[in-house]
Amino acid sequence: MDTNTEIRNILKQHAKLTADVDTLGDDADLYQAGMTSHASVNLMLALEDTFNVEFPERMLRRRLFESITSIRSAVDELKAGGS
Amino acid sequence: MAVAVDIVEIGQVAASLDAFGQRYAERVFTAGEIAYAFRAPANAAARLAARFAAKEAVIKLLRPGEIGVDPRSIEVVVEADGAPGIQLTGAAARLARERKISRISVSLSHDGGYAIAAVSAEPDTVGWRSSRLCRRRHTPWTRTQR
Repeated sequence: MDTNTEIRNILKQHAKLTADVDTLGDDADLYQAGMTSHASVNLMLALEDTFNVEFPERMLRRRLFESITSIRSAVDELKAGGS
Repeated sequence: MAVAVDIVEIGQVAASLDAFGQRYAERVFTAGEIAYAFRAPANAAARLAARFAAKEAVIKLLRPGEIGVDPRSIEVVVEADGAPGIQLTGAAARLARERKISRISVSLSHDGGYAIAAVSAEPDTVGWRSSRLCRRRHTPWTRTQR
């Protein structure tokens, strides 16, 4: 399963979106699609579990969780060993 | 003076505790906040939801932009008289200094499945960078609001 598909599956489970994830583009604003700040915490924890990474403080900012593209970028950076 | 509010569904916090357990709690809340919340287990989710709302409201005041802020660097403390206060550390404290915020007051409430927090920030009229006295007086960034 590719990374974007895994992110979409996590969004379905944890992001509490009011929109159907399958209808959203990779650059769609997840907050506009109904994700709350609290749901973004669940999203972060699920991403950490799935990809075996840990988001450092510098990444704990709203825009990082704003879209599938921005999440993918962060996950890729963490998997590559960035901290 | 700047003000901000945030609201959190208590059931969502309870669901996160069920899904992620202690890891969720320890990633978002300080040891003091967790201890206070679970002192009344039946109200733990409501207490944590109110604290999460307070952290988000403070974030709105601090306007961090591209600066990451660990939610644990914004702590709701309980003052000696039982009123809640806000204590900032790390990036949150640095942002408050940059924004020239000298004190943050907080009020918490929960009812009907939701918890809400309102916070207000008072500007530092003396100037953080120009006054050592001011810096000493306002450390550690704790003020209360009934």
